[in-house]
Amino acid sequence: MLNSFTEKPNAETLPQSGSAGTILNGRYLAPPEDNDHQRWVRTSALIQSSPEDLYRRWRDVESAPHWQEQISKVTRTGDTTSHWVMGATGKTLEWDSEVLADEPGKRIAWRTIGGDSENAGEVIFEAAPGGHGTIVTVLQELKLGKFGNAWETLMDRNPKQSVIENLRHFKALAETGEIPRTEGQPHGPRGAIGQIKKSMYGERVKIPTGNDRRAS
Amino acid sequence: MKAVCWMGKSKIETLDVADPTLLNPHDTIIKVTRTAICGSDLHLFDGFIPTMEAGDILGHEFMGIVEEVGPDVTNLKRGDRVVVPFTIACGSCFFCKKQFWSACDNSNPNAHLMEAAYGYSGSGLFGYSHMMGGYAGGQAQYVRVPFANVGPLKIENDLPDEKVLFLSDIFPTGYMAAENAQIEPGDTVAIWGCGPVGQFAIASAFMLGAARVIAIDRLPERLELARSLGAVTVDYSHEDVSVLTALKDLTGGIGPDSCIDAVGLEAHSTELQGIYDEIKTKLMLETDRPSVLRQAIQAVRKGGTLSIPGVYGGLLDKVPFGAAFGKGITMKMGQTNMHKYMKPLLERIENGQIDPSYIISHRITLEEAPKMYEIWRDKKDRVTKIVIDPWAEKSAA
Repeated sequence: MLNSFTEKPNAETLPQSGSAGTILNGRYLAPPEDNDHQRWVRTSALIQSSPEDLYRRWRDVESAPHWQEQISKVTRTGDTTSHWVMGATGKTLEWDSEVLADEPGKRIAWRTIGGDSENAGEVIFEAAPGGHGTIVTVLQELKLGKFGNAWETLMDRNPKQSVIENLRHFKALAETGEIPRTEGQPHGPRGAIGQIKKSMYGERVKIPTGNDRRAS
Repeated sequence: MKAVCWMGKSKIETLDVADPTLLNPHDTIIKVTRTAICGSDLHLFDGFIPTMEAGDILGHEFMGIVEEVGPDVTNLKRGDRVVVPFTIACGSCFFCKKQFWSACDNSNPNAHLMEAAYGYSGSGLFGYSHMMGGYAGGQAQYVRVPFANVGPLKIENDLPDEKVLFLSDIFPTGYMAAENAQIEPGDTVAIWGCGPVGQFAIASAFMLGAARVIAIDRLPERLELARSLGAVTVDYSHEDVSVLTALKDLTGGIGPDSCIDAVGLEAHSTELQGIYDEIKTKLMLETDRPSVLRQAIQAVRKGGTLSIPGVYGGLLDKVPFGAAFGKGITMKMGQTNMHKYMKPLLERIENGQIDPSYIISHRITLEEAPKMYEIWRDKKDRVTKIVIDPWAEKSAA
């Protein structure tokens, strides 16, 4: 550090490393590249809540269907393992997942250990500079192939966008207690191309419930 | 219920649709008692705003009586009388906490569409395209209002609807335009567009200390209203009138301290640039017609402020950025941070400092709405503001 420049009253210490590989030795690092049959998603959100609270919400895997798109049921099968079901009756994908790293209030990392999906990821919770909230960063790796196609069919979103939208839902739920939605509101006749447009806008994706007390 | 639906460019119909229901814990259902057509609804009518879809219910200026409340709404009960802000805000995110209510992070279910176009998404809006959330609007007999614990302003006096209705958009929008103009006592302020937002910008500029307001338009009925508020008017449609010369003549050659563009993307111009923008937008090489913006940048004095409440949607051509830089001007703009202004402006109405209903020229039924969109677009019948009574069978005037 330069000794001839000392006037920076609110500056934070230069980070040597940042969440999910965003910073290394003070330099910004781009997200990992996609390779064949493998996609990386790195996305982040600024959330007005504490890292501890957000960690607790994320770690409560059985509540994931409230905010993750198309996840219909998660069952805890051990201290670090859980069973995931995506989609509805007849058209489902199922897999088991295992927590690899669990640092309360800071970080959770996981990977799948069998089933219809092969994915791994981590989520990091850290205080934003200047006390502006908590930055939640998700880094997820999705091995695609047959699963990717099935995912897109079920989800009506590409898997990358799903990760981004799920973090958006997580944020809305943590900050407001609900996830914004318009499905079910009145409208006039949509016409011939209404369904196509709806799909283009991502409006065919079923928005997760938010919580159990959702209005009926 | 009956609702005014957008069915395509230049095609609006009043149709029977389902009643709205509660979808989220902070929702309420409002029985609409008065709603209005906004100048920005004409941008939808004319097909300038992308992601409108056939069947969308229009309307973002409305008020009414609370009919039903969601389980987490604690501040409202059935029977309360409320005015609803046109921007939907959660009240809890980083932006709401900073009073940038129109930049709310949590109210647009289609945020990804706006992120693709603008980098980040603003708040959801009622009845204003799927990119802005796809929420059903309030030109209807009932409307669902999300985040009702944050938005609706309770009206606890017996002032008639018409006096408080415009707290839903245009009065706060005109006021924020004047606030964004950074007016200092004694300043001269030039305002392009004397429609409803321009009218409230004129009034608000005076409230905030302007000594002189210069109002620019071409429609006699609007210029008349502007003069009635105390503004000097410039009719740009007169062949011998140059707006830039007029503004120099009226300011001793230095230009207005602040300029307000209350026109936006569908500006009309009598100059060659008007034809240029017309052709480029028709060819889809340009999305907006920014002739007022160009003129305001030229007109504002050195070191002055340009405030833009007029709506812009996309990519603008030939904007004289060099002039903006060369004169060191400040530009402020954006959707109105409604929740910040509604209460203090209600107090001004209650104290009798302003009666916003002076701009109303037409009172109609829902059935008459489609026809009135046309009449207003064509600038016929001396329209200054159209108010709808969604329950009336026959128009009042």
